[in-house]
Amino acid sequence: MNHVLVQDLRKSYRDKEAVRGVGFHVEAGEIFALLGPNGAGKTTTLEILEGFRQRDGGTVEVLGRDPGDRAHSGWLRRHVGLVLQDIAVEPYLTVRETIARNAGYYPAPRPVDEVVALTGLTEKSRTRVKDLSGGQKRRLDLALGIIGNPRLLFLDEPTTGFDPNARHGAWDVVRNLRDTGTSILLTTHYMDEAQALADRVAVIAAGRIVATGTPATIGGRDHALKRIRFTLPDGCSPDDLPVPVDVEADGTVTASVAEPTRVLHQLTGWALDRGLVLNGLTVEQPSLEDVYLGLTADHEAAPAPDTEKSPLSAAGHRSTR
Amino acid sequence: MSQATTTERPERPALTPPITAAAGTGRLRLTLHQIRYEQLSFWRNPQSVFFTFALPVMIIVIFGAVFGGNQPDSFFYGLSGMQYFTPTVAALSVFGACYGQLAVSLSIRRQNGILKRLHATPLPAWTYFAGLLAHALVVSAVEVVLITVVGYCYGVPLPAQWGATIASLTLGAASFCALGVGVSSLISDSEAASAVVQFIQFPLMFISGNYFPIHSALLDDVADALPMRPLNQALLGAFTGHGGVPWRQLAVLLAWGVVGTLVAVRRFRWDTRR
Repeated sequence: MNHVLVQDLRKSYRDKEAVRGVGFHVEAGEIFALLGPNGAGKTTTLEILEGFRQRDGGTVEVLGRDPGDRAHSGWLRRHVGLVLQDIAVEPYLTVRETIARNAGYYPAPRPVDEVVALTGLTEKSRTRVKDLSGGQKRRLDLALGIIGNPRLLFLDEPTTGFDPNARHGAWDVVRNLRDTGTSILLTTHYMDEAQALADRVAVIAAGRIVATGTPATIGGRDHALKRIRFTLPDGCSPDDLPVPVDVEADGTVTASVAEPTRVLHQLTGWALDRGLVLNGLTVEQPSLEDVYLGLTADHEAAPAPDTEKSPLSAAGHRSTR
Repeated sequence: MSQATTTERPERPALTPPITAAAGTGRLRLTLHQIRYEQLSFWRNPQSVFFTFALPVMIIVIFGAVFGGNQPDSFFYGLSGMQYFTPTVAALSVFGACYGQLAVSLSIRRQNGILKRLHATPLPAWTYFAGLLAHALVVSAVEVVLITVVGYCYGVPLPAQWGATIASLTLGAASFCALGVGVSSLISDSEAASAVVQFIQFPLMFISGNYFPIHSALLDDVADALPMRPLNQALLGAFTGHGGVPWRQLAVLLAWGVVGTLVAVRRFRWDTRR
């Protein structure tokens, strides 16, 4: 069952088409990340799913119901949790009081202490909200998002402004939630976050989804050329090498290959035969960030084309949609 | 517990909303739940404790020191100074606790995104406002009791007509709450909220005679049509036992309450979007 289904979603503000035909789905029990630059339509899409905005066109289903239909809003509020971009918590209540207050709004909330512990706020549970750090307030926000024991959780840039430890902590919380059966739709512009958390990702640019897939395969990432890089040994010319390479000004050479095992063997064999060392030898996979930058760069420049180009066209593969 | 609910998750969502026979008591419990947290927030916030709560009590204590004599004075329409100020400062405190508090706190909560966030929970809007209004009534009641006790210490008799006193205070408080929510609906920027609220509050208090008696028929005519002076007059009558049921004043208060409610219903927003 799909917990979120979006088809041909459209939304315009006065003179700007913010969302122009977005489509994706979130399966029950998965973490789905919506990636995209600022202004790409992430938040608009999320706000339509959350029921804060009305769409201009397209189909939207959240837990099988239309969030744009007021008749469903009460039911959806009981079963969907959300964490918005801005921290919004009363300053003079303690952490525990704030969570306990919201627990009272739901028919079957999680136990307050469980949520306090899950979000790593046990030590701060008696602290007033105004005395928390920014990261702790975000975690409290997350606690409020999950206190109602939602089936589906929307997270809008959940770790913006976190220090690295806090981010890893928050990721653990999100994974934990997924493992206890909550589906999660998150937006982020951190590639490492998508890589670490998401079961599937979609990249949105200029109001359209330009690629969907797992973090490992999106945008043809798994088929893209791998780069073998090292420093050319002294006294050797690139022509001496057994494989064709590109040379940079500082003497670093790069061999781009679809499958590095054989070429690597050829290169190291060649070096060993001559008693040479390949300094700085690395094999690089294109990172999610490379893919993302490639996917979004096209659309930043010319936000119209319907054709979807793979950013790693050198690989000769399309994204696996 | 999480295991238990997890295993139930794959079941189909319940199609009927969980409205039970206990919904009525559930709502009452939820309203009390809201009042409790509104009270916690209020009493821990130094700004609300000082400006909303302590200031009127301080004013009546200071007025008592200044106008403490029990001689009737024509400046106070034949009442003693404290006989005049006890009801009018009580009215002022209700105005601050209801109108001022709601207008400012709702504007700030809207600006902070707290209202938007709250609106995304299953808490019914009706319950939220009921809790807020009841909270403001509780603060008002504590204020009025304290101010009446201070007046009593300065020799002002307790209200002569309890029924009229309570009716006037309740209607006044409800009406001021409605105006507070209404004004907060018209304020788009919380930075301006405090200024707008004060800008309305202070001149209104002055021309309505809360800080000193007004001896101008014209000003009285104007103030009689505004929300503050009718409560002053109704309370003065009820405290001193002159004048019976203040129908005309109550009607003006009711009218302002309706105006505030209409504005609130039409213009209230949970978020800052235009």
